[in-house]
Amino acid sequence: MTSMQQTMAVLRREVAVERAGRDLARGLLPVAIAGVLLAGLAFGPAPSVLAGVTPGLPWLVVMLLSAHVAVSVAAAEREEGCWDLLVGLVGPGPLLWGKTAAVWLWLLLTWTLTAWAAAVVLGTALAATAVPAAALGTLGLAAGVVVYGTVAARGGRTGTGLLTALIVPAGVPALLAGTQASTPGVESLPWLALLLAYDLTSLSLAWAVFPILLEE
Amino acid sequence: MTTRPVRLLGAAAGVAGVATGVLGLVVAPPDAVQGDAQRLMYVHVPAAWVAYLAFTGVLIASIGYLVRRDLVWDRHARAAAELGVGLTALAIVLGSLWGRPVWGVWWTWEPRLVTAVVLLTVYLGYLGVRGLTTDSHAGARRAAVVGIAAFVNVPIVHYSVVWWRTLHQPPTVLRPGGPAEAIEPAMLLALLVGVVAFTLAAAWVHLRRVAILTAAASSERAPKMDGPVATEPLTVTARTTR
Repeated sequence: MTSMQQTMAVLRREVAVERAGRDLARGLLPVAIAGVLLAGLAFGPAPSVLAGVTPGLPWLVVMLLSAHVAVSVAAAEREEGCWDLLVGLVGPGPLLWGKTAAVWLWLLLTWTLTAWAAAVVLGTALAATAVPAAALGTLGLAAGVVVYGTVAARGGRTGTGLLTALIVPAGVPALLAGTQASTPGVESLPWLALLLAYDLTSLSLAWAVFPILLEE
Repeated sequence: MTTRPVRLLGAAAGVAGVATGVLGLVVAPPDAVQGDAQRLMYVHVPAAWVAYLAFTGVLIASIGYLVRRDLVWDRHARAAAELGVGLTALAIVLGSLWGRPVWGVWWTWEPRLVTAVVLLTVYLGYLGVRGLTTDSHAGARRAAVVGIAAFVNVPIVHYSVVWWRTLHQPPTVLRPGGPAEAIEPAMLLALLVGVVAFTLAAAWVHLRRVAILTAAASSERAPKMDGPVATEPLTVTARTTR
């Protein structure tokens, strides 16, 4: 089995686990919808204010939910006692990339849902470059979520709280650049370049340190 | 454990601290625009610089641990991180005290301040990671990973005043062309002596903390006895028989 096949197997497994339990869907959807509705109540009804808030709103929801997603990276498998089996079956690289791809998918879906809800409910539009910015920003963030989720997997409740302190700062470049690239009228190219640099840094760091986290 | 070199280091830090106080409060003139509030620079800037130094120490010690797998490196990383967190918090508080009379606000959303708080949060998380497991090596491995990743924030904080248009002033000393045209010589002297004082004090605290962590690790390794200590009846025997 090649590394790519192992990566795809890990990704398929993550999707199958989510389809079976729907834990993330149950956690992410209500918060995303509530975030948009509460933002409308808190900052509305002036259209100019809502237009200013909307580009950052999907990123805010993604950032707040990333700690929740991180818990699913390894904590569930550790609780069920199958983490060591998974680590033994696939190499560190495929495990990292498979997990990162799955988390990227969840974060991108959260961003898409929130952006769509914000456009419908708040009646404001995002820049066309919001989509590539979302794809780039959530990719770098996903790598950080996987690394920190693995770090904190044995911490229980303490680990979950700690994840917020670790992931939120790690996602600040995605929040800032993603918001700017989503704002109509803002030159987006420098922000997309920043997101690309963020992705390269985040993925390289994850690739370098992830095998160390698997040593037990 | 307090060795003679460590005591001398502490004494040198004390002397340099007193010199900083004299130079900063008496010898250096007040700033032409900011007045006496500018004198906070002699502690604010050294605190920030030595915090960067401490976080660099965390990076080096983390890499050292991952290469050598020796917990001595981990103790150095932990001590440096605690020091860096304390100094970053001090720099933020002093900056806030300085900002109130100069900017008119305790806090403003500008890149240097925000990135400094992000830096503080990341290293608080780093210290939190250490509490996740009782296995020394597992904890050290995870902390080393976070310690390496967290260092990315240090250059971002330093260059935030260069990369973005900010309210915070740009670098005065570490700038292209040197500090000569940007700062009065007496002010520069007070600042540099302040940096020396903070560096010596940080080195002293670091070595003391590492010694304490080493002693704590040794006591954890020592065999523990459960329940009351069993005592044997005292018997007296003659040393010589005649």
